[in-house]
Amino acid sequence: MIRALGIALVFWGGLSQAQAPSDGMALLRKIYLATEKLSYTGTFVYQQGDRTETSRITRVTGPGGDIERVEVLDGMPREIVRTRDTVRCYLPESQTVKVERRVDQRAFPGLLPEQISDLMRNYDITRGKTLRIAGYDCESVVLTPKDDLRYGYKLWADANSGMLLKARTFNRKGEIVEQFTFAQFAIGNVSRDQARTRHSVQSWRIEDAAVAPANLARAGWSVNPALPGFRRVAEVTRMLGEARPVGQMVYSDGMAAVSVFIEPVAGRAETVRPGLSSLGAFHIYTREVANHIVTVVGEAPAASVQRIANTVEFRQPQ
Amino acid sequence: MKSKISALVDGELERHEAEEALEALGTEGLARDTWRAYHLINDSMRDTRLLSSGFAARIAAKLADEPTVLAPRARPILQRRSWQALSVAASLAAVAFVVSVAFYPQDGPVAVAPVAPQALNTAPQAETAQVAPPEAADDYLLAHQGYSPRNSLQGMAPYVRTVSSEARAGRR
Repeated sequence: MIRALGIALVFWGGLSQAQAPSDGMALLRKIYLATEKLSYTGTFVYQQGDRTETSRITRVTGPGGDIERVEVLDGMPREIVRTRDTVRCYLPESQTVKVERRVDQRAFPGLLPEQISDLMRNYDITRGKTLRIAGYDCESVVLTPKDDLRYGYKLWADANSGMLLKARTFNRKGEIVEQFTFAQFAIGNVSRDQARTRHSVQSWRIEDAAVAPANLARAGWSVNPALPGFRRVAEVTRMLGEARPVGQMVYSDGMAAVSVFIEPVAGRAETVRPGLSSLGAFHIYTREVANHIVTVVGEAPAASVQRIANTVEFRQPQ
Repeated sequence: MKSKISALVDGELERHEAEEALEALGTEGLARDTWRAYHLINDSMRDTRLLSSGFAARIAAKLADEPTVLAPRARPILQRRSWQALSVAASLAAVAFVVSVAFYPQDGPVAVAPVAPQALNTAPQAETAQVAPPEAADDYLLAHQGYSPRNSLQGMAPYVRTVSSEARAGRR
Protein backbone atom coordinates (compact mmCIF):
# COMPACT_ATOMS: atom_id res chain seq x y z
CA MET A 1 0.00 0.00 0.00
CA ILE A 2 2.73 2.35 1.03
CA ARG A 3 4.69 1.40 -2.07
CA ALA A 4 1.63 2.05 -4.22
CA LEU A 5 1.19 5.42 -2.57
CA GLY A 6 4.88 6.13 -3.18
CA ILE A 7 4.57 5.27 -6.86
CA ALA A 8 1.43 7.37 -7.09
CA LEU A 9 3.27 10.28 -5.48
CA VAL A 10 6.21 9.94 -7.83
CA PHE A 11 3.81 9.77 -10.77
CA TRP A 12 1.89 12.78 -9.53
CA GLY A 13 5.12 14.62 -8.94
CA GLY A 14 6.22 13.90 -12.49
CA LEU A 15 2.89 15.03 -13.79
CA SER A 16 2.99 18.33 -11.96
CA GLN A 17 6.54 18.83 -13.25
CA ALA A 18 5.25 18.33 -16.76
CA GLN A 19 2.54 20.90 -16.17
CA ALA A 20 4.92 23.42 -14.72
CA PRO A 21 5.74 25.33 -17.93
CA SER A 22 2.12 26.17 -18.72
CA ASP A 23 1.61 27.13 -15.08
CA GLY A 24 4.59 29.43 -15.34
CA MET A 25 3.24 30.87 -18.57
CA ALA A 26 -0.12 31.49 -16.93
CA LEU A 27 1.58 33.44 -14.16
CA LEU A 28 3.61 35.47 -16.70
CA ARG A 29 0.38 36.39 -18.48
CA LYS A 30 -1.18 37.37 -15.16
CA ILE A 31 1.80 39.62 -14.39
CA TYR A 32 1.56 41.16 -17.85
CA LEU A 33 -2.13 41.99 -17.39
CA ALA A 34 -1.59 43.38 -13.89
CA THR A 35 1.17 45.67 -15.22
CA GLU A 36 -1.31 46.94 -17.82
CA LYS A 37 -4.37 47.36 -15.64
CA LEU A 38 -3.49 48.16 -12.04
CA SER A 39 -3.32 51.55 -10.36
CA TYR A 40 -0.96 51.45 -7.42
CA THR A 41 1.65 53.15 -5.27
CA GLY A 42 4.70 51.52 -3.79
CA THR A 43 8.30 51.74 -2.76
CA PHE A 44 10.88 49.37 -4.15
CA VAL A 45 14.56 48.71 -3.64
CA TYR A 46 16.92 48.13 -6.52
CA GLN A 47 20.04 46.11 -5.71
CA GLN A 48 23.08 45.62 -7.88
CA GLY A 49 26.42 44.52 -6.48
CA ASP A 50 26.79 46.37 -3.19
CA ARG A 51 24.58 49.20 -4.34
CA THR A 52 21.01 49.61 -3.11
CA GLU A 53 18.66 52.34 -4.21
CA THR A 54 15.12 53.04 -3.08
CA SER A 55 12.49 54.45 -5.43
CA ARG A 56 8.85 55.37 -5.21
CA ILE A 57 6.50 54.30 -7.99
CA THR A 58 3.00 55.58 -8.74
CA ARG A 59 0.77 54.37 -11.51
CA VAL A 60 -2.70 55.49 -12.50
CA THR A 61 -4.71 53.77 -15.21
CA GLY A 62 -8.15 54.45 -16.61
CA PRO A 63 -9.93 57.04 -18.71
CA GLY A 64 -7.68 59.95 -19.52
CA GLY A 65 -4.77 57.63 -20.20
CA ASP A 66 -2.24 55.88 -18.03
CA ILE A 67 0.47 57.76 -16.16
CA GLU A 68 3.35 56.18 -14.36
CA ARG A 69 5.94 57.96 -12.30
CA VAL A 70 9.14 56.74 -10.66
CA GLU A 71 11.15 58.89 -8.27
CA VAL A 72 14.59 57.72 -7.25
CA LEU A 73 14.96 58.58 -3.57
CA ASP A 74 18.65 57.75 -2.98
CA GLY A 75 21.68 59.39 -4.50
CA MET A 76 21.33 61.66 -7.50
CA PRO A 77 17.68 62.79 -7.62
CA ARG A 78 15.84 61.88 -10.77
CA GLU A 79 12.32 61.21 -11.83
CA ILE A 80 10.86 59.40 -14.81
CA VAL A 81 7.27 59.91 -15.92
CA ARG A 82 5.62 57.94 -18.68
CA THR A 83 2.36 58.78 -20.37
CA ARG A 84 0.90 56.82 -23.28
CA ASP A 85 3.44 57.90 -25.84
CA THR A 86 6.04 59.97 -24.00
CA VAL A 87 8.73 59.28 -21.43
CA ARG A 88 10.22 62.24 -19.60
CA CYS A 89 13.27 61.96 -17.40
CA TYR A 90 13.69 64.88 -14.99
CA LEU A 91 17.17 65.64 -13.67
CA PRO A 92 16.82 68.51 -11.17
CA GLU A 93 20.57 68.86 -10.48
CA SER A 94 21.35 69.76 -14.07
CA GLN A 95 17.87 71.26 -14.63
CA THR A 96 17.41 69.02 -17.62
CA VAL A 97 14.45 67.09 -18.88
CA LYS A 98 15.03 64.34 -21.43
CA VAL A 99 12.01 63.69 -23.59
CA GLU A 100 11.32 60.68 -25.74
CA ARG A 101 8.18 60.48 -27.84
CA ARG A 102 7.07 57.40 -29.63
CA VAL A 103 6.57 57.59 -33.34
CA ASP A 104 5.23 54.16 -34.16
CA GLN A 105 1.71 52.88 -33.68
CA ARG A 106 2.40 50.77 -30.66
CA ALA A 107 2.60 53.09 -27.68
CA PHE A 108 5.68 51.43 -26.23
CA PRO A 109 6.75 48.19 -27.78
CA GLY A 110 7.16 45.64 -25.11
CA LEU A 111 6.31 42.07 -24.65
CA LEU A 112 2.99 41.13 -26.22
CA PRO A 113 0.81 38.41 -24.74
CA GLU A 114 1.29 36.18 -27.80
CA GLN A 115 5.06 36.56 -27.45
CA ILE A 116 5.00 35.18 -23.95
CA SER A 117 4.77 31.68 -25.41
CA ASP A 118 7.80 32.45 -27.62
CA LEU A 119 9.83 32.75 -24.43
CA MET A 120 9.68 28.96 -24.12
CA ARG A 121 12.09 28.62 -27.06
CA ASN A 122 14.89 30.22 -25.07
CA TYR A 123 13.92 29.62 -21.46
CA ASP A 124 12.63 26.76 -19.37
CA ILE A 125 9.66 28.25 -17.56
CA THR A 126 8.73 26.70 -14.25
CA ARG A 127 6.94 27.64 -11.08
CA GLY A 128 9.02 28.46 -8.02
CA LYS A 129 8.27 28.52 -4.31
CA THR A 130 5.75 30.92 -2.84
CA LEU A 131 7.06 33.78 -0.74
CA ARG A 132 5.60 36.61 1.31
CA ILE A 133 6.73 40.04 0.09
CA ALA A 134 5.65 43.44 1.46
CA GLY A 135 2.71 41.74 3.19
CA TYR A 136 1.50 39.89 0.09
CA ASP A 137 1.57 36.14 -0.56
CA CYS A 138 3.43 35.80 -3.82
CA GLU A 139 3.64 33.09 -6.44
CA SER A 140 6.80 32.76 -8.45
CA VAL A 141 7.94 31.84 -11.93
CA VAL A 142 11.49 31.01 -12.96
CA LEU A 143 12.87 31.55 -16.45
CA THR A 144 16.00 29.42 -16.75
CA PRO A 145 17.92 30.12 -19.96
CA LYS A 146 18.54 27.15 -22.26
CA ASP A 147 21.99 28.51 -23.20
CA ASP A 148 24.70 30.90 -21.94
CA LEU A 149 23.59 33.75 -24.15
CA ARG A 150 21.10 35.22 -21.70
CA TYR A 151 20.46 35.63 -18.01
CA GLY A 152 17.87 33.81 -15.96
CA TYR A 153 14.98 35.52 -14.18
CA LYS A 154 12.96 34.76 -11.12
CA LEU A 155 9.76 36.73 -10.66
CA TRP A 156 7.42 36.86 -7.68
CA ALA A 157 3.89 38.22 -8.07
CA ASP A 158 1.02 38.85 -5.69
CA ALA A 159 -1.17 35.73 -5.90
CA ASN A 160 -4.34 37.84 -6.02
CA SER A 161 -3.60 40.78 -8.28
CA GLY A 162 -0.65 39.40 -10.26
CA MET A 163 1.40 42.51 -9.46
CA LEU A 164 5.14 41.82 -9.77
CA LEU A 165 6.67 42.48 -6.36
CA LYS A 166 10.12 41.02 -6.77
CA ALA A 167 12.31 40.39 -9.80
CA ARG A 168 15.71 38.81 -9.77
CA THR A 169 18.19 38.43 -12.61
CA PHE A 170 20.76 35.66 -12.21
CA ASN A 171 23.75 34.48 -14.21
CA ARG A 172 24.63 30.94 -15.23
CA LYS A 173 26.35 30.32 -11.90
CA GLY A 174 23.10 31.22 -10.18
CA GLU A 175 24.59 34.42 -8.74
CA ILE A 176 22.25 37.40 -8.42
CA VAL A 177 23.09 40.04 -11.00
CA GLU A 178 20.43 42.51 -9.92
CA GLN A 179 17.18 42.55 -8.00
CA PHE A 180 14.07 44.67 -7.56
CA THR A 181 11.99 44.18 -4.39
CA PHE A 182 8.95 46.07 -3.21
CA ALA A 183 9.14 47.12 0.43
CA GLN A 184 5.67 48.66 0.44
CA PHE A 185 2.84 48.37 -2.04
CA ALA A 186 -0.85 49.31 -2.19
CA ILE A 187 -3.41 48.88 -4.96
CA GLY A 188 -5.79 51.73 -5.81
CA ASN A 189 -6.42 55.02 -4.01
CA VAL A 190 -4.21 56.97 -6.38
CA SER A 191 -5.16 60.31 -7.86
CA ARG A 192 -3.85 61.43 -11.25
CA ASP A 193 -2.09 64.31 -9.54
CA GLN A 194 0.11 61.92 -7.60
CA ALA A 195 1.50 60.58 -10.84
CA ARG A 196 2.45 64.00 -12.18
CA THR A 197 5.83 65.60 -11.68
CA ARG A 198 6.30 68.32 -9.06
CA HIS A 199 9.03 69.99 -11.08
CA SER A 200 8.23 73.14 -12.98
CA VAL A 201 10.51 72.98 -15.93
CA GLN A 202 9.98 76.30 -17.76
CA SER A 203 13.61 77.30 -17.42
CA TRP A 204 15.04 73.78 -17.78
CA ARG A 205 16.98 72.53 -20.73
CA ILE A 206 14.93 70.14 -22.84
CA GLU A 207 16.71 67.35 -24.66
CA ASP A 208 14.33 65.89 -27.18
CA ALA A 209 15.31 62.48 -28.50
CA ALA A 210 13.47 63.19 -31.78
CA VAL A 211 13.03 59.50 -32.44
CA ALA A 212 12.26 58.68 -36.07
CA PRO A 213 11.88 55.34 -37.83
CA ALA A 214 14.92 54.57 -39.95
CA ASN A 215 16.41 52.09 -42.33
CA LEU A 216 20.04 51.81 -41.35
CA ALA A 217 20.54 48.88 -43.72
CA ARG A 218 19.89 51.20 -46.63
CA ALA A 219 22.63 53.44 -45.28
CA GLY A 220 25.01 50.47 -45.48
CA TRP A 221 24.87 49.16 -41.92
CA SER A 222 24.27 45.57 -41.12
CA VAL A 223 24.08 43.71 -37.87
CA ASN A 224 23.86 39.99 -37.72
CA PRO A 225 22.52 39.26 -34.27
CA ALA A 226 24.04 35.76 -34.50
CA LEU A 227 22.34 34.98 -31.24
CA PRO A 228 19.65 32.32 -31.40
CA GLY A 229 16.27 33.67 -30.42
CA PHE A 230 17.17 37.36 -30.82
CA ARG A 231 15.31 39.32 -33.48
CA ARG A 232 15.22 42.98 -34.38
CA VAL A 233 12.40 44.84 -32.63
CA ALA A 234 13.24 48.47 -33.45
CA GLU A 235 15.31 50.53 -35.86
CA VAL A 236 15.35 54.30 -35.40
CA THR A 237 17.43 57.44 -35.56
CA ARG A 238 17.43 59.68 -32.53
CA MET A 239 19.31 62.32 -30.61
CA LEU A 240 21.39 61.32 -27.67
CA GLY A 241 22.26 63.74 -24.88
CA GLU A 242 22.33 67.35 -26.01
CA ALA A 243 22.28 66.81 -29.77
CA ARG A 244 24.21 63.84 -31.05
CA PRO A 245 22.48 62.04 -33.86
CA VAL A 246 22.71 58.28 -33.49
CA GLY A 247 21.19 55.26 -35.14
CA GLN A 248 19.71 52.63 -32.85
CA MET A 249 18.76 49.04 -33.55
CA VAL A 250 17.26 46.88 -30.82
CA TYR A 251 17.38 43.10 -30.67
CA SER A 252 15.39 41.05 -28.20
CA ASP A 253 14.50 37.48 -27.30
CA GLY A 254 11.31 38.59 -25.57
CA MET A 255 12.95 39.11 -22.18
CA ALA A 256 16.51 40.32 -22.74
CA ALA A 257 17.18 43.26 -25.05
CA VAL A 258 20.33 44.60 -26.69
CA SER A 259 20.63 48.01 -28.38
CA VAL A 260 23.19 48.81 -31.06
CA PHE A 261 24.01 52.53 -31.29
CA ILE A 262 25.93 53.88 -34.29
CA GLU A 263 27.28 57.42 -34.46
CA PRO A 264 29.96 59.25 -36.41
CA VAL A 265 33.38 59.61 -34.79
CA ALA A 266 33.62 63.15 -36.13
CA GLY A 267 32.31 65.77 -33.76
CA ARG A 268 32.85 63.72 -30.62
CA ALA A 269 34.77 65.76 -28.07
CA GLU A 270 35.42 62.78 -25.85
CA THR A 271 38.02 60.23 -26.84
CA VAL A 272 36.38 56.87 -27.21
CA ARG A 273 37.86 53.93 -25.40
CA PRO A 274 37.07 50.69 -27.13
CA GLY A 275 36.31 47.85 -24.78
CA LEU A 276 33.79 46.40 -22.41
CA SER A 277 32.27 47.87 -19.29
CA SER A 278 29.96 46.09 -16.90
CA LEU A 279 27.14 47.71 -14.93
CA GLY A 280 25.26 44.99 -13.12
CA ALA A 281 22.96 43.28 -15.58
CA PHE A 282 24.09 45.66 -18.32
CA HIS A 283 27.16 45.36 -20.47
CA ILE A 284 28.36 48.10 -22.76
CA TYR A 285 30.78 47.24 -25.54
CA THR A 286 32.33 49.95 -27.68
CA ARG A 287 34.25 49.56 -30.93
CA GLU A 288 34.98 51.58 -34.01
CA VAL A 289 33.66 50.61 -37.44
CA ALA A 290 34.24 52.68 -40.56
CA ASN A 291 34.80 55.97 -38.74
CA HIS A 292 31.76 55.38 -36.58
CA ILE A 293 31.49 54.47 -32.96
CA VAL A 294 29.43 51.40 -32.33
CA THR A 295 28.14 51.13 -28.77
CA VAL A 296 26.23 48.01 -27.88
CA VAL A 297 24.21 48.16 -24.67
CA GLY A 298 22.58 45.02 -23.46
CA GLU A 299 20.86 43.36 -20.53
CA ALA A 300 22.71 40.19 -21.35
CA PRO A 301 25.99 38.45 -20.50
CA ALA A 302 29.15 40.16 -21.77
CA ALA A 303 29.81 37.52 -24.43
CA SER A 304 26.38 38.05 -26.02
CA VAL A 305 26.80 41.83 -26.12
CA GLN A 306 30.24 41.41 -27.69
CA ARG A 307 29.00 38.90 -30.23
CA ILE A 308 26.39 41.31 -31.48
CA ALA A 309 28.89 44.19 -31.50
CA ASN A 310 31.40 42.20 -33.51
CA THR A 311 28.95 41.53 -36.32
CA VAL A 312 28.25 45.21 -36.99
CA GLU A 313 29.47 45.96 -40.52
CA PHE A 314 29.41 48.79 -42.94
CA ARG A 315 29.36 48.38 -46.70
CA GLN A 316 29.13 51.35 -49.03
CA PRO A 317 25.57 51.22 -50.39
CA GLN A 318 25.52 50.55 -54.14
CA MET B 1 39.88 61.72 9.95
CA LYS B 2 39.67 57.93 10.04
CA SER B 3 35.89 57.91 10.27
CA LYS B 4 35.71 60.51 7.48
CA ILE B 5 37.77 58.28 5.22
CA SER B 6 35.68 55.26 6.09
CA ALA B 7 32.57 57.22 5.14
CA LEU B 8 34.26 58.36 1.94
CA VAL B 9 35.05 54.78 0.96
CA ASP B 10 31.37 53.96 1.48
CA GLY B 11 30.28 57.02 -0.50
CA GLU B 12 28.44 58.47 2.46
CA LEU B 13 29.98 61.94 2.64
CA GLU B 14 28.36 65.20 1.59
CA ARG B 15 30.18 66.95 -1.21
CA HIS B 16 32.06 69.52 0.92
CA GLU B 17 33.10 66.85 3.42
CA ALA B 18 34.23 64.60 0.60
CA GLU B 19 36.36 67.38 -0.87
CA GLU B 20 38.01 67.90 2.48
CA ALA B 21 38.74 64.20 2.84
CA LEU B 22 40.05 63.96 -0.71
CA GLU B 23 42.39 66.86 -0.03
CA ALA B 24 43.83 64.99 2.92
CA LEU B 25 44.34 62.01 0.64
CA GLY B 26 46.25 64.16 -1.81
CA THR B 27 49.40 63.87 0.27
CA GLU B 28 51.11 60.66 1.31
CA GLY B 29 50.69 59.84 4.97
CA LEU B 30 48.31 58.43 7.52
CA ALA B 31 45.20 59.43 5.57
CA ARG B 32 46.30 57.57 2.48
CA ASP B 33 47.33 54.50 4.46
CA THR B 34 43.89 54.50 6.07
CA TRP B 35 42.29 54.80 2.63
CA ARG B 36 44.24 51.79 1.38
CA ALA B 37 43.47 49.80 4.50
CA TYR B 38 39.72 50.40 4.23
CA HIS B 39 39.72 49.39 0.58
CA LEU B 40 41.66 46.28 1.43
CA ILE B 41 39.07 45.45 4.10
CA ASN B 42 36.25 46.09 1.61
CA ASP B 43 37.91 43.96 -1.04
CA SER B 44 38.46 41.06 1.27
CA MET B 45 34.90 41.29 2.59
CA ARG B 46 33.56 41.17 -0.96
CA ASP B 47 35.92 38.47 -2.06
CA THR B 48 37.47 40.73 -4.70
CA ARG B 49 40.78 39.39 -5.96
CA LEU B 50 43.56 41.23 -4.21
CA LEU B 51 46.43 42.88 -6.03
CA SER B 52 49.93 42.05 -4.92
CA SER B 53 51.45 44.47 -2.45
CA GLY B 54 53.20 47.44 -3.98
CA PHE B 55 51.13 47.06 -7.15
CA ALA B 56 50.26 50.75 -7.37
CA ALA B 57 53.88 51.80 -6.88
CA ARG B 58 55.10 49.41 -9.59
CA ILE B 59 52.49 50.64 -12.07
CA ALA B 60 53.38 54.26 -11.29
CA ALA B 61 57.07 53.52 -11.87
CA LYS B 62 56.31 51.76 -15.18
CA LEU B 63 54.16 54.69 -16.32
CA ALA B 64 56.96 57.10 -15.50
CA ASP B 65 59.29 55.06 -17.73
CA GLU B 66 56.89 55.06 -20.68
CA PRO B 67 57.71 57.55 -23.44
CA THR B 68 54.99 60.15 -23.95
CA VAL B 69 53.46 59.92 -27.41
CA LEU B 70 52.65 63.37 -28.66
CA ALA B 71 51.42 62.61 -32.17
CA PRO B 72 47.64 62.92 -32.38
CA ARG B 73 45.63 60.30 -34.19
CA ALA B 74 45.67 61.29 -37.82
CA ARG B 75 42.26 61.72 -39.37
CA PRO B 76 42.76 64.54 -41.88
CA ILE B 77 40.66 63.07 -44.68
CA LEU B 78 37.68 62.52 -42.46
CA GLN B 79 37.76 66.05 -41.13
CA ARG B 80 37.89 67.65 -44.53
CA ARG B 81 35.09 65.47 -45.85
CA SER B 82 32.84 66.07 -42.89
CA TRP B 83 33.18 69.82 -43.43
CA GLN B 84 32.03 69.33 -46.99
CA ALA B 85 29.13 67.28 -45.75
CA LEU B 86 28.25 69.95 -43.24
CA SER B 87 28.17 72.72 -45.81
CA VAL B 88 25.89 70.66 -48.01
CA ALA B 89 23.69 69.97 -45.03
CA ALA B 90 23.60 73.62 -44.12
CA SER B 91 22.56 74.64 -47.61
CA LEU B 92 19.72 72.16 -47.52
CA ALA B 93 18.94 73.01 -43.91
CA ALA B 94 17.07 69.79 -43.46
CA VAL B 95 17.37 68.06 -40.13
CA ALA B 96 16.33 64.74 -41.61
CA PHE B 97 19.21 64.95 -44.04
CA VAL B 98 21.72 65.67 -41.28
CA VAL B 99 20.55 62.64 -39.40
CA SER B 100 20.72 60.35 -42.41
CA VAL B 101 24.09 61.66 -43.56
CA ALA B 102 25.47 61.00 -40.14
CA PHE B 103 25.25 57.28 -40.78
CA TYR B 104 27.20 57.32 -44.00
CA PRO B 105 30.92 57.28 -43.40
CA GLN B 106 32.22 60.41 -45.08
CA ASP B 107 35.50 59.14 -46.43
CA GLY B 108 34.42 57.12 -49.43
CA PRO B 109 36.65 54.21 -50.39
CA VAL B 110 38.70 54.42 -47.21
CA ALA B 111 35.65 53.18 -45.33
CA VAL B 112 35.91 49.80 -46.99
CA ALA B 113 39.15 48.94 -45.24
CA PRO B 114 37.96 48.52 -41.63
CA VAL B 115 34.96 46.49 -42.71
CA ALA B 116 36.74 43.14 -42.65
CA PRO B 117 34.21 40.81 -41.07
CA GLN B 118 35.11 39.85 -37.55
CA ALA B 119 35.44 36.24 -36.66
CA LEU B 120 32.50 35.08 -34.63
CA ASN B 121 33.70 34.37 -31.21
CA THR B 122 31.54 32.23 -29.03
CA ALA B 123 33.62 32.28 -25.88
CA PRO B 124 33.91 35.45 -23.80
CA GLN B 125 36.94 37.19 -25.22
CA ALA B 126 39.57 37.11 -22.53
CA GLU B 127 41.68 39.76 -24.21
CA THR B 128 38.85 42.32 -24.23
CA ALA B 129 39.83 45.55 -22.54
CA GLN B 130 37.71 46.36 -19.50
CA VAL B 131 37.02 50.06 -19.67
CA ALA B 132 35.06 52.54 -17.59
CA PRO B 133 31.52 53.09 -18.89
CA PRO B 134 31.33 55.76 -21.60
CA GLU B 135 30.61 59.34 -20.59
CA ALA B 136 27.12 59.10 -22.05
CA ALA B 137 26.36 55.68 -20.49
CA ASP B 138 23.22 56.98 -18.75
CA ASP B 139 21.94 58.40 -22.03
CA TYR B 140 22.49 55.04 -23.72
CA LEU B 141 20.73 53.21 -20.88
CA LEU B 142 17.77 55.60 -21.02
CA ALA B 143 17.55 55.29 -24.80
CA HIS B 144 17.71 51.51 -24.52
CA GLN B 145 15.25 51.14 -21.69
CA GLY B 146 12.22 52.19 -23.72
CA TYR B 147 12.61 49.04 -25.83
CA SER B 148 13.13 46.55 -23.04
CA PRO B 149 10.38 43.91 -22.94
CA ARG B 150 10.71 43.97 -19.17
CA ASN B 151 8.66 47.16 -19.12
CA SER B 152 5.65 44.98 -19.93
CA LEU B 153 6.15 42.94 -16.77
CA GLN B 154 7.66 45.54 -14.52
CA GLY B 155 6.40 48.92 -15.67
CA MET B 156 8.84 51.77 -15.18
CA ALA B 157 10.90 50.20 -12.40
CA PRO B 158 13.80 49.15 -14.69
CA TYR B 159 14.28 52.82 -15.63
CA VAL B 160 16.00 53.45 -12.28
CA ARG B 161 19.09 51.65 -13.54
CA THR B 162 21.88 54.11 -14.23
CA VAL B 163 25.61 54.22 -13.86
CA SER B 164 26.38 54.19 -10.14
CA SER B 165 28.28 57.09 -8.62
CA GLU B 166 31.22 54.72 -7.99
CA ALA B 167 31.45 53.80 -11.68
CA ARG B 168 31.12 57.48 -12.55
CA ALA B 169 34.00 58.31 -10.22
CA GLY B 170 36.08 55.47 -11.70
CA ARG B 171 35.79 57.12 -15.09
CA ARG B 172 37.75 60.17 -14.02
